[in-house]
Amino acid sequence: MQPITATGACFDGVSARPYPVTIRVTDRFEVRGEGVFHDWNLLDLRAADAAAPLMRVGPVGSLIRVEFTDATLAAVLPLRCPDLARRESEEGGTLRLVLWSIAAGVSVILVALFGVPLLAGVLAPMVPDAVEERLGAAVEGQIVDILGKPPLCTEAAGKAALDRLVAKLVAGRGLPGSVSVTVRRHKMANALTLPGARVIMLSDVLVKSETPDEFAAILAHELGHVATRDPTRSLIQSSGTAFLLSLVFGDLTGSTIIVAAGQAIVSAGYSRDAERRADAYAVDTLNAAGGNGAALASILERIAKDGDSETGAFLRSHPFTRERAASIRERAGPEAAGRRIIAEADWVALKGICPGLPAAKPSESKPSESKPKPPGPRRERKAPDEPVDL
Amino acid sequence: MESVAGHIDGAPRPSGAITFDRSLKGLTGIAVKGFLLSLITFGIYRFWYITNLRRYFWSRTTVDGSPGEYTGTGKELFLGFLVALAILVPIYIAIFALSLMSPALAAFGGVLSFVILYLLGQYAIYRGRRYRASRTLWRGIRLGQDGSAWAYAGMAAGWSLLTVVTLGLAFPFMRASLERYRIRHTLIGTARMDSTARGTQLLPYWLVFYGVVLLPLLAAAAYFLVAAGFKIPTDLMVAKPGKPGDFIMNPTYAGTPVATALTVLGFIGPVGVIAALLLIPFYRARETRLFMNAASLGSVTLSSTLRARQFYWPYIVYFLSILGFFLVIVLVFLGLGLLIGLGGGREPGGFSAVHALLLFTTLAAYLGAGLLFAVLYVRIIQARLWAAVAESTQVHGTEALAQIVASSRAPASGLNEGLADALDVGGALQIGF
Repeated sequence: MQPITATGACFDGVSARPYPVTIRVTDRFEVRGEGVFHDWNLLDLRAADAAAPLMRVGPVGSLIRVEFTDATLAAVLPLRCPDLARRESEEGGTLRLVLWSIAAGVSVILVALFGVPLLAGVLAPMVPDAVEERLGAAVEGQIVDILGKPPLCTEAAGKAALDRLVAKLVAGRGLPGSVSVTVRRHKMANALTLPGARVIMLSDVLVKSETPDEFAAILAHELGHVATRDPTRSLIQSSGTAFLLSLVFGDLTGSTIIVAAGQAIVSAGYSRDAERRADAYAVDTLNAAGGNGAALASILERIAKDGDSETGAFLRSHPFTRERAASIRERAGPEAAGRRIIAEADWVALKGICPGLPAAKPSESKPSESKPKPPGPRRERKAPDEPVDL
Repeated sequence: MESVAGHIDGAPRPSGAITFDRSLKGLTGIAVKGFLLSLITFGIYRFWYITNLRRYFWSRTTVDGSPGEYTGTGKELFLGFLVALAILVPIYIAIFALSLMSPALAAFGGVLSFVILYLLGQYAIYRGRRYRASRTLWRGIRLGQDGSAWAYAGMAAGWSLLTVVTLGLAFPFMRASLERYRIRHTLIGTARMDSTARGTQLLPYWLVFYGVVLLPLLAAAAYFLVAAGFKIPTDLMVAKPGKPGDFIMNPTYAGTPVATALTVLGFIGPVGVIAALLLIPFYRARETRLFMNAASLGSVTLSSTLRARQFYWPYIVYFLSILGFFLVIVLVFLGLGLLIGLGGGREPGGFSAVHALLLFTTLAAYLGAGLLFAVLYVRIIQARLWAAVAESTQVHGTEALAQIVASSRAPASGLNEGLADALDVGGALQIGF
């Protein structure tokens, strides 16, 4: 083998003193200088990173370094030392790393998609009432802030009528804890259930209700969420999913979007089931209390009209209203339509709970499929970690 | 006297120079691979990406003719991150549970977690530096760092408190004090570095920043407090009529000094942010120069000629590149929008090929932007700032470098840096010291 010689500097790994040396490469790598002699097997030689023309080599696992700038030697050395660029500490290969990382990522996503909701369903009934109560108080403060601090409606006669209605709906349904229902003055026709059996009815539901049964149906729907502890479950679920995903994925470009989208899909899928359960609960409750279960369908058609688009169906937290209305009417039965949950006097009192509300339009047109209504404003979807609403 | 730089034949280099290979050959490849693989591995590849970047930057920087060498591995960083998760998850859960169980503590939950995470963050910064030092070789000599990370975190917390109490005036003294602690616990082999950095040296530059950015803000805030009688009125902001969630100033305050103060504050705030962005590179450059000049190793000293403009240029170039990219994107989307406007009018709501093109372009633009910015950030900001600091620094008394002797202590554990990454304090893509 043609010997190649060059000059360079050797560092002995003990001191930073450079020793001027002559390098001679045959089938061995020989380094000679004043007080320096090394003779290495070419298979043991490793190169550390350096910018050309500088080259830096040393035997594997040692701190001895030889630095040189000879172009001929730099060109020949990789040909004679097969493992020159090998890095023992990084064995395993990038492909294996990438595949394992993807597998780990998919596993975490599956846990977040299926494991966390399952766990939330198991954990929610186990949350002590006192803790849930505290949670509810905290969430109520936040929600009221988000809604723009709508004032409470506390007209005495209305409050009494509301309490009688709640008592009638709750009777014999075995709800956990004591239910607290409040009405707040707000221009959005919506209702919310928070942890700790707190139900907030926004006053516009009262305005839009043509019969007491319609208002009672929305209320009963919310009580359905109370019965299954949906708000606590969704709180545990969304915080668990968010915690898991954001912790594992860190915040490199793109992953925040994955996290947000994943969360929205997860919570939407599970909440659609929860909505259907709450609908069924509302119909049964109303029918049992002597009211009109089908009223839920007519009020939903008025305040939660579907948009035209079918896109994004998997992202919707609520099922389509026409689908809901059909199953509500079927469950309520044909004879439900004639019944009234409370007397007219109580209904008048209840509507007076927020003094000065605009009166409901007289019910000259009964809700009918033949007469298309102008599409109402689509309700803005909120962040998935909010309590279950209407 | 042996000139160390002369040991390599070829072009004679001025002895004691620190150089950086500005050609940046191969850096784009590392950044592209790092970004794309990080994306598809849910970010796990970032530890290997950082390792590759560090190996590149270390090996392209020569001190007195010899390049540095980074011997850390991605696996070490990843394991450290997993261990850090094991420590952090219980802490997060404990804080959450504590604030839930005890309403009295709930009000302090935010403060409590901030204090805990701040201390842990400073601890992690120091431990991360220790890891990087112990994975750095120069002429076969391992660097190291001793000292206590908890002592460092305690110092940082104390100084931060003092900085808040003195309305920011103690800041340069904090910086100098922490720099002294870091440098005085940095070892090259067995040789210990020293720093004579003093807060008073930094004070003039800090006062420039302070006078332009912080003082007007503080003055406006003080004016507001005085006008409001030292208590912030709870009904200052009210819901906008008809728009829940939107807030406007309570009309009853119109014309009062409170409203004037609020307007002044609203004007000075944004101006202060812009001024701060413009002045931070200036302060950082001055600080780096001072810290470099203050550092020494026995009779070996450093001198820096770093100019503030060397710190401004990379940011300006980066900013202009981003601006140019967005201009192109806007033009492309305007063109596509025009196409839809012309072609899609006949069938409203239809999903035409143009819509598909729009969706595809959006996705491509998003990914392309991410990739481009990642590459530009590494090539322009990181590489140029690194080059500016390296090349403006000169080592004096290099003959004494030959006396450095390797230390027998074991290199620091690879678990040191994981916490910094898990806490997002300088872990991600942190390549300097």
